[in-house]
Amino acid sequence: MVVLSSQGVTKKFGGLVAVNNFDFELPQGMIVSIIGPNGAGKTTFFNCITGFYEIDEGIILFDGLLLNGKSPDKITRMGIARTYQNIRLFANMTVTENILVGAEPHLKSFWFEAIFQTRRVKLEELEAQQDAQRMLNFVGLKGIGDQLARNLPYGSQRRLEIARALASKPKLLLLDEPTSGMNPQESAELMRFIRNLRDELGITILLIEHDMRVVMAISENIYVMDFGTKIAEGTPNEIQRNPRVIEAYLGRGIATGLKTQTAKTKASNQ
Amino acid sequence: MNNLKEGFRYGLISYGIILYLNLLGIPLNFGDIVLTIFSLLIGLLSFAFLRKRPNHLRKNLRNTLVQGLIIGLVSGLGLSIVTYIFASLQKDGINVAQVFAQVKPEHTGALTGLTKEEVLGDVSVLPGLLQLTLLFTFAGFIGSALTQLPVEKLRKQFDSKSGLKTISRALFVLPFFFYGLFMLLKVEGVQIAGTEENNLGMLFIFLFIGAALFALRAVEPGRQKSILVILLVVLMLLLPHFADLKQNAILGVVGIFIVMGIGLNIVVGYAGLLDLGYVAFFAVGAYAYALLSSPESYVVLNLPGFEGVNFWAGLPIAIIIGAFAGFLLGVPVLRMRGDYLAIVTLGFGEIARLLVLNLRDYTGGPGGVINIPAPILFGMDLGNPRDILYIAMAFGLIVTFFTVRLRDSRLGRAWIAMREDEDVAQAMGINLVAIKLLAFASGAAIAGMAGALYATRQVNIFPDNFALDVSINVLSLIIIGGIGSLEGVVLGAIVLIGLPEILRTVDEYRIVAFGALLVTMMIVRPEGILPSTRRKRTLHVHEDSESTSTK
Repeated sequence: MVVLSSQGVTKKFGGLVAVNNFDFELPQGMIVSIIGPNGAGKTTFFNCITGFYEIDEGIILFDGLLLNGKSPDKITRMGIARTYQNIRLFANMTVTENILVGAEPHLKSFWFEAIFQTRRVKLEELEAQQDAQRMLNFVGLKGIGDQLARNLPYGSQRRLEIARALASKPKLLLLDEPTSGMNPQESAELMRFIRNLRDELGITILLIEHDMRVVMAISENIYVMDFGTKIAEGTPNEIQRNPRVIEAYLGRGIATGLKTQTAKTKASNQ
Repeated sequence: MNNLKEGFRYGLISYGIILYLNLLGIPLNFGDIVLTIFSLLIGLLSFAFLRKRPNHLRKNLRNTLVQGLIIGLVSGLGLSIVTYIFASLQKDGINVAQVFAQVKPEHTGALTGLTKEEVLGDVSVLPGLLQLTLLFTFAGFIGSALTQLPVEKLRKQFDSKSGLKTISRALFVLPFFFYGLFMLLKVEGVQIAGTEENNLGMLFIFLFIGAALFALRAVEPGRQKSILVILLVVLMLLLPHFADLKQNAILGVVGIFIVMGIGLNIVVGYAGLLDLGYVAFFAVGAYAYALLSSPESYVVLNLPGFEGVNFWAGLPIAIIIGAFAGFLLGVPVLRMRGDYLAIVTLGFGEIARLLVLNLRDYTGGPGGVINIPAPILFGMDLGNPRDILYIAMAFGLIVTFFTVRLRDSRLGRAWIAMREDEDVAQAMGINLVAIKLLAFASGAAIAGMAGALYATRQVNIFPDNFALDVSINVLSLIIIGGIGSLEGVVLGAIVLIGLPEILRTVDEYRIVAFGALLVTMMIVRPEGILPSTRRKRTLHVHEDSESTSTK
């Protein structure tokens, strides 16, 4: 079953076509990556999915429902959560508060109930707190719930951002360069964690990632973007051998150079 | 050395508080026992300051006692110097009351144990001032010594024996009992005043306060907060009875501004929406009540059979209309942020004033609305400054309650998240439209409430009462007090609204003083005097990172 799909999505900023006629399919329960050089339009595509940008052409479907024209909060409530390329936590709120804000789509109480502290509010708040504690344990941030998000080390901030996204109990999680700024050991740990998310919670995951080791190890399917267009699609093995991908990453000259070199070595071998 | 510096700083703060009360004319209210009251306050301040320090400093006996002495000495000397200057001026026949309305020869006399004639005559004030300084020093010392009570140990002992627990509670009631007795005797005409009895009285009160603090700390920690609240409420209830008409009037304005400050704090402090047109909602509330109640208003004159509503019926209407106005003005600015929002709301504030000025037929134009009735409760006319002050206090408590409940709820979290990062907040599923409108509407509802109270206090209201400077005053008081902090609002209002009222006679200069204060605050303490813990952290990011990197 397809969770998320897009057909002919185009997003323009003035004369610049950031995303061009992008077709995309994300089956349920898979881990899929979007890769591409800087400025290829990956994050823009994320922003189109989450409703932060309004797309100019095409359609995006989530669970068979049209996302076009929906506001970011509605889309989050439908079951899509995301993290950001440069961490965007609520820096001056505590760790627990960050997660509670993430759990917002599941809170039902009205503001005037809070004034009278109705049973429902108390119960809901208690459950949300307990859920937040569980979430902290799950991402390995146990016992630091009262610290300000700002004061956490970098790796923990990344985890917290994922925890905040998970607090909305999403069906689909969009991770924008989750391993950026991490050392190899931390990224390996994060990869295990992401796989766990899929295996244990059944969340479909869409990644933007630059670290090729991570991408190749974790992805079940990869989309490659360059200048807003999809230039390749396939399993990690297929992508690694795709000449257009190598060209996009290394530049035409080097790519041809590589090609001729391989041709030469082949020739010399023969 | 650091130690002395810290004590000196606390001393200066205590001195500031004492000086403020002094200029407010407290010595005139209490006559001869003013020294007792002031010493008591110094003792309490010393206790409060020194108790709050980190454990390793608090446990250092010598350090603590020295600091207590410094606190008393600094505030005592400070007050003595000011009083000496005032006395010298008064002896030369200069009327200090022209600048500081409450500082009269009787005032100086009360502080130095002299009569009015003696102050103006040849008797030196120096012995009295020496006594004052010594008393303050002693009080600071006692306050610091109180922090050294082995309360934790005692509490454990009390807990083990329920009988002693009861005694500790009884001790808590004692001060009030004796205080009541004290006042009763005074009313009966028994002279407790005079220097010697004065000191004796002080000793008594000290013993009682000591017992109270002791009892306070001997009860379970969970109960302490409620006891403090009770103490504060009792203090608030007593306060207007000791104040004279003028002081009550000043405090009434302060109270109205506190209510408004709490409202604006929701909009600016929590939701982070910079609103410079807050006065619009204040005006809406005031005019709503005025037009519905004044016998000379357009509404009452033109609605046959409508006699005008009383305050308690007009108040909810003013609140609802205020909230509605907030909602209406919120809609067009939903998509604006920061500076743009500030400019647009600034415009709204002016539009509100110009509307009431120019809709002559309905609002009376420049002639305003006159004869707005006072609140009446059970047949009692509550229009006098003292009762207005009580109403303002009640309003303050009510809006604080509402605000705290909202702040700690899901909505409050959403507001703060929006302040931190609007886009991410929306991506977390928060409906920005709803919470922005709720912030505007609840802030405006509170302003409407304050407006209705203001209208009934003023009896006659005019468009000029609702000029831009009201918005700026309210914003300044929350900035000075500490954005996002309710205690800060109260303190900010006392400093910013109370002080200029005391200096009414030098009205022209108060704007200058205002500006100087704001600039100084922004440089020295940008987070305000009593910042909310969160806000404090935001503004000292750089210092934090510097200090951690140097360590």
